[in-house]
Amino acid sequence: MKIVIAGAGAVGTHLAKMLSAESHDVVLLDESEERLGKLESLFDLKAMIGSPTRIGNLKTAGTGDADLFVAVTPDESTNINSCILAHYLGAKKTIARIDNYEYLQPKHKEFFRSLGINSLIYPEKLAAEEIATSIKYCWMRQMLEFGNGELVMIGVKVRGNSSIINIPFRDLQRDMPYHIVAIQRGDETIIPRGNDVIEVDDLVCFMTTKSHISYIRDICGKEQYSEVKSVIMMGGSRIAVRTAELIPSDISIKIIESDYARCNKLIELVDDRVMIINGDARDPELLRSEGIDRTDAFIALSDNSETNILACLAAKRSGVYRTVAEIENIDYISMAEEMDIGSVINKKKLAASNIFQMMLNTDVSSVRCLMFTEAVVAEFPVDEGMSITKRPVKDLGLPVGANIGGVIRDGKGINVSGNSMIEPGDHVIIFCLENVLKKLEKFFKR
Amino acid sequence: MIHFKIISRILGLLLLIEALFMLVALGVSVYYDEHIIPAYIYAIATTLAAGALLLYCGRGKERNISRKDGYIVVSSAWIIFSIFGSILYLISGYIPSVSNAFFETISGFTTTGATILDNIEEFPPSLLLWRSMTHWIGGLGIVFFTVAILPVFGMGDIHLFAAEATGPIHGKLHPRISVTARWILTIYIGLTVINTVCLKFAGMNLLDSICHSMSTIATGGFSNKQDSIGAYNSPLIEYIVTLFMFLGGTNFSLLYLSIFKGKVGDLVRDSEFKCYFNIILISTIVIAAGLLLTDAIGIEKAFRDSLFQVVATVTTTGFCTADYMLWHPLLWLIISGLMYLGACSGSTTGGMKCVRVAILGRVMINEFKRIVHPNAIIPVRMSHKIIATPVQSAILAYTVLYVGVVMVGVIVNVACGLEFMEAYGLSVSCTSNIGPALGNYGPAFSMNSLPEVLKWFCSFQMLVGRLEFFAVLLMLTPMFWRKQ
Repeated sequence: MKIVIAGAGAVGTHLAKMLSAESHDVVLLDESEERLGKLESLFDLKAMIGSPTRIGNLKTAGTGDADLFVAVTPDESTNINSCILAHYLGAKKTIARIDNYEYLQPKHKEFFRSLGINSLIYPEKLAAEEIATSIKYCWMRQMLEFGNGELVMIGVKVRGNSSIINIPFRDLQRDMPYHIVAIQRGDETIIPRGNDVIEVDDLVCFMTTKSHISYIRDICGKEQYSEVKSVIMMGGSRIAVRTAELIPSDISIKIIESDYARCNKLIELVDDRVMIINGDARDPELLRSEGIDRTDAFIALSDNSETNILACLAAKRSGVYRTVAEIENIDYISMAEEMDIGSVINKKKLAASNIFQMMLNTDVSSVRCLMFTEAVVAEFPVDEGMSITKRPVKDLGLPVGANIGGVIRDGKGINVSGNSMIEPGDHVIIFCLENVLKKLEKFFKR
Repeated sequence: MIHFKIISRILGLLLLIEALFMLVALGVSVYYDEHIIPAYIYAIATTLAAGALLLYCGRGKERNISRKDGYIVVSSAWIIFSIFGSILYLISGYIPSVSNAFFETISGFTTTGATILDNIEEFPPSLLLWRSMTHWIGGLGIVFFTVAILPVFGMGDIHLFAAEATGPIHGKLHPRISVTARWILTIYIGLTVINTVCLKFAGMNLLDSICHSMSTIATGGFSNKQDSIGAYNSPLIEYIVTLFMFLGGTNFSLLYLSIFKGKVGDLVRDSEFKCYFNIILISTIVIAAGLLLTDAIGIEKAFRDSLFQVVATVTTTGFCTADYMLWHPLLWLIISGLMYLGACSGSTTGGMKCVRVAILGRVMINEFKRIVHPNAIIPVRMSHKIIATPVQSAILAYTVLYVGVVMVGVIVNVACGLEFMEAYGLSVSCTSNIGPALGNYGPAFSMNSLPEVLKWFCSFQMLVGRLEFFAVLLMLTPMFWRKQ
């Protein structure tokens, strides 16, 4: 595929690297030579200096015959503008990054489509949703909901007190109301087979129905976690503002921001239940005076991944049992995992999941990414005559690295076993590694 | 840079408007065939002549006025209006003394409602109407009134409004200030008409209902009876007057939005309106309970008296149905505390205004919070909007000036031989534009017995209070008159 990416910021650069690694033709367009830097010599892509809102530059970048145009500059007006131009020049699909949740309302979707914008991505909103969920269910690492929450995918780190460790899979999963789709052990992602066992400190991905979430908590030995009542956030970024809006109103929130001017801006953006504190959240004295020892959750959202990791470690030491860190440096994610930083938030991955969705040549309801592993969870609608409906699941010959997690049938979530049949009208939820996603297309062809 | 020509022109124009209002009173006088018609003709002739002279002095092409000019226009407009307005009382012979006539007129224009009259019932109808009309003209502001009907000043209107408007924050309803003014005037006239109809229906004669509705909506306090509203002895009239005093104390912009645009929610959710409503609610309950405990009166009467007196005080109207000085001292102390507050900004009331009270309250609470959280940035929010620091400090400065003017007033009053309670009550009452004060200047008495010099000083306090201190006091600073 031929892909043009406008904006060589953190998200744009990540997408360019990822897509070029999958041998797509990637052109990265940015006004600043400094940002483009040595990307061209390090990765197999074309870097181009130019403004994404100038027709001449867009033409030179080859927007005319691009399959996908992605606008991810920090300014949403630039993004929308350049997508309109790209559509006019002939780009087949366009994606714009935005910073305004009003645009995401379904009633405006048709309007944006008429402008030539196929998809809007708002990584900050997705990040805030992830954080809000991880505050609500503080015993899990990540939770993704499908079919209005009928089916959920839960990532849990299991400890020695769990009742499911060291039991072979063929004994474990018999008639249980859940399905384990993957295990993350260190850097390795395992799609479990009959003889595999869950070991201590594994991160286990469960697929289950809504009513069994508390059952999963019990078998993982996480009953002792109490509800979060107070939160401290470090860094008053856009994610912090969105998160403050999404967290239930009975939870008290403090945002610690070191930039005074930003603090004054923040008080206009949040309501009175959020207290804005001007200071450095790495200062233990400040944290103590703001009652870190009585705080249930600490969310580190500064621009600097290292700072976030360290601040979370310090907060853990002060007795905070729930920490969330925004880590933009993807190499640090597994490291953070080893250090037991609770949940990890990565804007790039969140943005990338939308791109995956746009690159598939088949209908897909959603593609969601997992923070702790190089895998995604995708929801496909099933129609009459698709090859996936022809055989039972165990005989489908799904590619290695893919695993059917469950099915939503008539609005109800169902677990799937090897002998289940997928029926037309179902929505299937499939866990798969990022590089396998494309291979799933053929199962959803008529 | 002060543009004397244009100032003179505007003042001349204002005098013509005043003559127009006198003409209305003359019409009534002719209708009743009164013997004071010549007095009207003299007064109108003098006013017209002065107006024409000022217009002649101010002829020229100049159209723009500066912010400084705005302050001069507004302050001098109020003084000149009062001077020419008092001519009528003087020539007609009903108030022969100059100090009394000026006091009565400025008390009218500033919507204070303190009167020096001991013989109101002897006044001819047209003069009673003129007396209430001074309230009505002054209610929204003299200059405001004029700009609303005659948008002729050109570019400087905004400076005039800023100098005269009440409250710390001025919102516009329409991009053009003259249109905003006209909309607000519509509400003002509409409320006055409805009030008149209600009072007529409740049993007042036509003249009394017009006069009382004008002084009610303007939250003034002049009554055609020596015993104020209490003279009618009608619970229905008392409740009607209470309701319209309450409306007169509401922000007229928000009233406009809720009546014509259906945005009642904006009014009800407004932080200032909530503060205003709660102050009235709580004070009424406390005083009603106090009256029940100390006096042998029925529940309804206790509630009615308490509600009427609380609303009359908070809206700085100063009507009376009961002499609160006869109540238990604790109860009239509450009333004297309410005298400081005033109702909503953008209304016709005097006093501090609830928005300032609410903001000061929040600033104070924030100071406590800041001790516990020294690094926290805690905003002051009113109706979800953040009050910027310059506005907060302006309000603090306002409060200091307010207390300062009251204190100076107390000292002057005591120096002129008043007892402390009278001196304090008079000072607060005049500065907040209420009317009745405490003790011997309470609701049962007139201000006639004040020493001459205090009548002038109280007039000054009323004007300073009505124009919210800065406009008048600024002109007393050398900084204002310095060139460049």
